[in-house]
Amino acid sequence: MRITAILLAVAVGVVSGLGLTWLASAGALGFGTVKIGAWTTWPKSGTPEADPYSRAFYARSGELPLGSTDGIAFTATADDNGAALNGRCDIHIAGRMPAARFWTLTLYDGQGRLIENASERHGYTSAEVLWKPDSQIEIVLATRARGGNWIPTGGRERVSAVLRFYDAPIGLTGRSSNTVELPAVWQEFCP
Amino acid sequence: MRRYLLPVLAGLVLGGIVHIVTTLAMPQLALDNAFVRLSKLGPANSVQFLPDATPEEAIIPRADPAFINAVCRYNLDAGVLKVRVPTSADYTSVSFYTRRGLAYYSINDHAAGQRTIELQLMTPAQRAALPEDEEITRADRLIVESPTTEGIVLIRGFVREPGNRTRVRERLANVSCAPES
Repeated sequence: MRITAILLAVAVGVVSGLGLTWLASAGALGFGTVKIGAWTTWPKSGTPEADPYSRAFYARSGELPLGSTDGIAFTATADDNGAALNGRCDIHIAGRMPAARFWTLTLYDGQGRLIENASERHGYTSAEVLWKPDSQIEIVLATRARGGNWIPTGGRERVSAVLRFYDAPIGLTGRSSNTVELPAVWQEFCP
Repeated sequence: MRRYLLPVLAGLVLGGIVHIVTTLAMPQLALDNAFVRLSKLGPANSVQFLPDATPEEAIIPRADPAFINAVCRYNLDAGVLKVRVPTSADYTSVSFYTRRGLAYYSINDHAAGQRTIELQLMTPAQRAALPEDEEITRADRLIVESPTTEGIVLIRGFVREPGNRTRVRERLANVSCAPES
């Protein structure tokens, strides 16, 4: 009986502990991240004060975080309502961008790879995007070509968008910052 | 049922400890971090260009495709490293990472305020060993202290539109990263 109890405790401990670390280091639990609308970022990931969750995430993924004097990156894997971004829908990213010297928006598939397409269009930079007259932008991620700012999704079921601001005075305080306004993300015409 | 309660609770406490320990150990244990990936490109203390990411392959995952990336994996055992980066018309940045992928310093062309970002990379011990008067004459030069002997210098040039790629690449071809002679 005693042995069973100890084995049970150890099994629960190992499975729950490793499982939690596995999910957290994949960024799936939101530990250590800041969320603004549909967008999340690892604050301080570009500084020596980066927290253990962000260090674990970058070490595991093999990515290099943007240095703090370089820029800040926000990732959206779901829309404003929390529904996962589906490349078979029309995904709209629209609104005003915070002040920055430049920004880029890049689309990746579920594994973080660029998506093959004939026009070799994987994203936009603030210098090439078409702006609306009121200095707002609207970018559509969709399978079929359209006018305006369009990024092909290749019909992938899971996609993620990364918005990066360079040389930008964006300071983050607290877990859900309202000091920065980022564009809205919504989906329509889902199959 | 009640007799399982205590072991499960004890297990969850243990799980918390396992989680904290493994999370903290992850940077040491990760076998496929950026430093390891970049070591396939070429020798340390020299500049290599990252091939443009394609849907099939990216050495550094989720890097911004709107940039030309050059890297210099360094080992300061050989001595102080001198890094020279000519900035391009649009935007150029230099970022420093430890072997474990921790970003400890970064600078961009505006912050540097010059057409060429020039700096010396050294360990705290190498900096302490600098002759004192030399330190004064070098006050106008940028010294970056690396917390680890090994690490990564990432040099990035912004490509505002695809047509500018070649021009930015040519400009960055003059990047140097080598032990000080």
